[in-house]
Amino acid sequence: MTGAAASTDGMSPRVLLAGLAVSLVMSGCATYSDSFGVIQRNLAARQYDAALQNIEKQSGSKTDRVLYLLNKGMVLRMKRDFAGSNHALEAAKAEMERLYAASVSEHALSFLVNDATVSYGGEDYEQVLVHLYMALNYLELGQPGEARVETLQVDAKLREIGEKVSGSKFTGDAFSRYITGLIYEDDGERSDAMISYREAYEAYRKYRADYGLAIPDMLKHDLLRLARREGLKDEATQYRREFGIAIPPDESASSKQGELVFVLNNGLAPIKRERAVTAFDPASGILVRIALPYYESRPNNVAGARISAAGRQTTTELMEDIDAIARQSLDSHMPAIVARSIARAAAKTAAIKAATRRNNNNNDAAMSGLLGEFAMQATAVATERADTRSWLTLPPTSIWHACPCRRAITRLKLNCWARTAKLWRPANIPES
Amino acid sequence: MRWLFPISRMAALMVLAAALSACSTSVTRMDAGEVRDLSGAWNDTDSQQVSAEMIRDVLSRTWLTDFTREQKRRPAVIVGEVRNLSHEHINVNTFISDMERALINSDRVQFVASSTERQEIREERKDQDLNASEATRKAMGQEKGADFMLKGAINTIIDASGRDQLRYYQVDLTLISLADNRKVWAGQKKIKKFVERSNLRF
Repeated sequence: MTGAAASTDGMSPRVLLAGLAVSLVMSGCATYSDSFGVIQRNLAARQYDAALQNIEKQSGSKTDRVLYLLNKGMVLRMKRDFAGSNHALEAAKAEMERLYAASVSEHALSFLVNDATVSYGGEDYEQVLVHLYMALNYLELGQPGEARVETLQVDAKLREIGEKVSGSKFTGDAFSRYITGLIYEDDGERSDAMISYREAYEAYRKYRADYGLAIPDMLKHDLLRLARREGLKDEATQYRREFGIAIPPDESASSKQGELVFVLNNGLAPIKRERAVTAFDPASGILVRIALPYYESRPNNVAGARISAAGRQTTTELMEDIDAIARQSLDSHMPAIVARSIARAAAKTAAIKAATRRNNNNNDAAMSGLLGEFAMQATAVATERADTRSWLTLPPTSIWHACPCRRAITRLKLNCWARTAKLWRPANIPES
Repeated sequence: MRWLFPISRMAALMVLAAALSACSTSVTRMDAGEVRDLSGAWNDTDSQQVSAEMIRDVLSRTWLTDFTREQKRRPAVIVGEVRNLSHEHINVNTFISDMERALINSDRVQFVASSTERQEIREERKDQDLNASEATRKAMGQEKGADFMLKGAINTIIDASGRDQLRYYQVDLTLISLADNRKVWAGQKKIKKFVERSNLRF
């Protein structure tokens, strides 16, 4: 009687825990980045419709909804469906806003399974770059007013990030600030443009210190030109001395000139892979697994571009290195990821030990108990996967160039520098 | 250990009840004037408040009576650009359309088609020139010129700290005389909201 009662009491929590773990194995078995390979191949072959179909397969996931919308938005942009792209990116923004509140149940579950059970709300730089790409989409659609709205949202978002994460190195996205400045200047709001250029300059100085990225020439010229135009003589002299560039030509000529801005989104952002260690803990006799993410670059063959238009030829320069920004973002989160991983391993080990202790007290159910213990260990190890989610269709290095042009541009020639072949190859510019 | 059973059963029933209640979409019809704020962003209530204030203000000022007395006819107004200088994608057409409707229905102001609307009308007129009968053809060059243009802007000021946000919207509309560039009327509506986002969710 006592034996039967003991076996019933011993089975129920073990069965519950094993049942819970098995039901969650389905969600925890593969890492996110592993499933992205087929989409990457579609994009490399420029099969955007096929890529969209494959992305649609991820539409059902509740925790990865932000990523589904971000990827959909970016691929629609690649397909030049700018209105559709903005629709998806706007939905992504709304979802990110909803995920500002941390979920109690998701975090409780992540303590038992893995980090991927928590809804992905986007890294800091991803949250800012959504606005940037929406602004670029609006500019392509010929709606500079709406692009201006996005730049204001960038400003608000950067302020929020600056407040939330005090130790973060990502306090200003230089590229976004520079595009903000261009949009303001295009609108005739020169004082706001000056402020944005100054902020971009500060951010690029930090980039130079953190990532070794040089301050772009275009920004230097724009700062000097606008400072002179706004009558900020001291500031203009300071820039001239600092940058060592000549005073720009006559103002009346420049007001009749247009400017060609060419944005090259080159390749795809780095992908997170998993590095895992499975070890046998001699003290408890239980298998323990720790899995941590790391970034793997996805280099592109195109290293730069040369634009020929209206009788002038100039090369592109690097304005934003997402590779470096992403790596630094992961580095700043790594201590927390490691701590959570260790705590989770300890919790799973304790759960297995508690369950097996009950089993050892009852000899009748020894065989089923051993199988149960094995199943629990197996699920504990199988569910321990690293969180490899990130915005995988984000271009890593957005290189661009602005070239002042006196007359309307009728012909544009683009040549790209192929890294492996070490020569300039002509490329097609899509019709608008 | 025996107390596990009732608790586990209760927990299972609660989860089942919660899941079933979330199973179907529910639609509740609301009155257009009912106030319901969901995210704190610009919504229909804001638009209705703006249009109510602007309509009340524009019909009660002296510009209308002055014009009617001097010119002995109703003024014609064309809607110009209302710039969105805010940090949200706001559809300005909602309150502009409200204003147009209220002013036309008051029988004291006339509206003429805006530059975007008349493109289609002019094409139709050109088409009539080619295809419609002599009696029903509408001649080109007979459009009514506007006396005033309605222009405006929406501005916002956002103050945020942590999960709290103070949003301030200011909608400014002006009526500008097309004859001599005078601003005859300036309407303004200020809206301020305090939005608290929750830090936790289930």
